[in-house]
Amino acid sequence: MILYTPLSETDIFPHSQNEFSNRHCVNYQGKMLFVEEGKDGTYSLLQLLSTDPQDFLDEKYTPGTKIR
Amino acid sequence: MNEDKTKKEDQNQDEQSNPSSLVQKIQQLGQSNVPQAPDSNIHVLSIIGQVEGHVQLPPQNKTTKYEHLLPQLIAIEQNNKIEGLVILLNTVGGDVEAGLALSEMIASISKPTVSIVLGGGHSIGVPIAVSTDYSFIVPTATMTIHPIRLTGLVIGVPQTFEYLDKMQDRVINFVTHHSNIKEEKFKELMFEKGNLTRDIGTNVVGADAVEYGLIDEVGGVTDAMKKINELINENKEKEGQVIQ
Repeated sequence: MILYTPLSETDIFPHSQNEFSNRHCVNYQGKMLFVEEGKDGTYSLLQLLSTDPQDFLDEKYTPGTKIR
Repeated sequence: MNEDKTKKEDQNQDEQSNPSSLVQKIQQLGQSNVPQAPDSNIHVLSIIGQVEGHVQLPPQNKTTKYEHLLPQLIAIEQNNKIEGLVILLNTVGGDVEAGLALSEMIASISKPTVSIVLGGGHSIGVPIAVSTDYSFIVPTATMTIHPIRLTGLVIGVPQTFEYLDKMQDRVINFVTHHSNIKEEKFKELMFEKGNLTRDIGTNVVGADAVEYGLIDEVGGVTDAMKKINELINENKEKEGQVIQ
């Protein structure tokens, strides 16, 4: 199917709300983390929100880490 | 539930002896260990993907949310242990007002700031790049300078154009005030035809950005760290003089 239209893709195929709702910004052990909630209730770390370069060397906060 | 948690924490503590968590780690990131280092007096703010402002973008987009960065910038300003800030930029642009907010925040921080443009610092990435005390661009990085545009519902009245024009002036004013580029030159690059396929604007590559006065110097991490340490020392000397 080819759509030839000036409308943006999201106007035609809107994103479902749960795509947004399973992503959260949480405070975990004093660090702000951007996490994605899995189907089994676990959270996997997407992004560490920190400006301290040393935090990124801490293996507890490597992307993909499962928390709880 | 609590028991599970403590068990997990125990597992984390003896990762080396526990092969299953090590395997998990390798599956996650393809690595098993990272070195530890002492506290750093220079903090790093990375602005990657799209600058996300008033509209939340779908999860497949890589975005930098400005509401996450603004409190971090305040924290950097307030923390005495932090002496300098390095901004890493690889952005395709995004929300004009969010980008300008970030730029103004970075420009008004009292501590020395240095930016490095890596890969790309396009459209609203340009004011962010020049907002620091000193800016670097790696030789292969590019910056697209183009007029601002609106998506979504636009009312077709002359006032809309005036509004856009005013918004554009804010970007032009910020860039010309915080870099060595002349307003005429920046506008010329912005409205150039034939450089971008079916679009107005110019794609400025590494050394050209320095030549136009937009960026201060071509360089990478070493140069940026050298510069920020230099600025930190200057800052310390100034503070010392005030006390005496």
